[in-house]
Amino acid sequence: MRVYLRYAFKETFTNLWRNRMMTVAAVLTVAVSLSLVGSALLLKQSAAQASAQWQQGTRVTVWMQPNASSSEIDSVKTQLASMPIVKDCQFFTQAQDYQQAKTLLPADEWSVLTPSATPSSFRCIPTVPTDAFTVQSTFTNQPGVYQVTAPEQQIRQMNHAIRILQIVFLALAAVLLLSATVLILNTIRMAIFSRRREVSVMKLVGATNWFIRVPFITEGFIQGLLGSAVAILAVTALHTWYPLHNEFALNASALLGTNTVVLVVGVVIGSVGSAIAIRRFLDV
Amino acid sequence: MIRFENVSKTYKNGTPALRNVTLDIEKGEFIFLVGASGSGKTTFLRLLLREETPDAGRILEAGRDIGELPKWRVPYLRRNIGCVFQDFRLLPNKSVFENVAFALEVIGRPRSTVESQVPQILELVGLADKSKNLPHELSGGEQQRVAVARAFVNRPLILLADEPTGNLDPANSESIMALLERINRTGTTVVMATHDKALVDRMRRRVVELDRGEIVRDQVRGVYGIDEGVAI
Repeated sequence: MRVYLRYAFKETFTNLWRNRMMTVAAVLTVAVSLSLVGSALLLKQSAAQASAQWQQGTRVTVWMQPNASSSEIDSVKTQLASMPIVKDCQFFTQAQDYQQAKTLLPADEWSVLTPSATPSSFRCIPTVPTDAFTVQSTFTNQPGVYQVTAPEQQIRQMNHAIRILQIVFLALAAVLLLSATVLILNTIRMAIFSRRREVSVMKLVGATNWFIRVPFITEGFIQGLLGSAVAILAVTALHTWYPLHNEFALNASALLGTNTVVLVVGVVIGSVGSAIAIRRFLDV
Repeated sequence: MIRFENVSKTYKNGTPALRNVTLDIEKGEFIFLVGASGSGKTTFLRLLLREETPDAGRILEAGRDIGELPKWRVPYLRRNIGCVFQDFRLLPNKSVFENVAFALEVIGRPRSTVESQVPQILELVGLADKSKNLPHELSGGEQQRVAVARAFVNRPLILLADEPTGNLDPANSESIMALLERINRTGTTVVMATHDKALVDRMRRRVVELDRGEIVRDQVRGVYGIDEGVAI
């Protein structure tokens, strides 16, 4: 067994080195396609995360005119309080909103703002997320109301965009994965061809079929493995430097899951490519 | 050792290669297979290696019907059969030592066996001092001796030789024949297909002549063929 492992190892790496240009091409194609797969998966997880957050803490904000009278404010307040679809409401005075604007808005924008020009607001949480729309339509255009905003629409649009992006990524990845498989298949075919003399001698002296096949299978396997290793680096770099995780609270386990999928797909592609090559071109 | 029972083989293009061949070869025998090109000699050898299976009849080797052998067992059958060809079939980028060692390595023999067996066999074929040379640095006769060493290093029960002297001059043919005889004396059955009339006549061994797939002659201490010289 030890003899065989050493032999298979040596053969595999000799083959990889001999066809190194093809190996590099195959590995890079696997890497690019798997990076796309990984990014698509991360996007999907981000979208799911964002939706979950929205569903937990949806807010509808009723912004009052800065110059709204206190009776107008009171009327909105009582209406909100009497609505069963509204779970909870908090009133932010003009001063409070001004303070918040200070932290949220860029300096050049809030510097033109004064507390008296800042709208006061009701921050409300609907019982059911979809009720945000009803609240919106009830209060828009009421006297003293400046604007009613609900984040639902933005999130929907964002989800939609993410989904399209994801489909594009996955479609591209599928095409690339197919070509990666074909490239691996081709490198293995070349390896088989360049070793046809050895193979015929091996058959002659009674090497078992698996003995002959295994180095070629491991060759494809390693190409897939190298490809997914590069892809994992790329996905991790994306995750680290383009901080999706800040906006969508993606955690390390989402990254780990994605990388696992990338690894498994890479290894499967490598093995399938070489298995096909062996079936078709290695006559044992 | 080897038994052909009414073996027939027809190739896909319809040419019959062997017709109803029945033959017994004893353990330790040395047998020449003679006949014109296309008479079925090579098919005979390919059947022994189970590179082909017969259309009819049975082939027994060491008492076992090799047609019954499952495909995965075939390599183990071939470990008992050494093979030598007209074109040597050495690996050009491996040294003499490595070429012979390869035959042991790929059937999973440990390094210690390789290191003890290979020098021994190279001594036997008289190439101990050329073990580091590459095949192209050797003469044809030497290359064929490497091929014989490779075929015999695993001590097979049977040695098949398909025109082993076909590419060699008389002197080198002579040394190969001497080598095959020595191997035969260790108890190995040797089956050799050949065109070399002078060689067969001198050796006085069993001769089986094939003609269009049929055995037309089986002589215990035979010559290549009396008619051959006259007919050509």
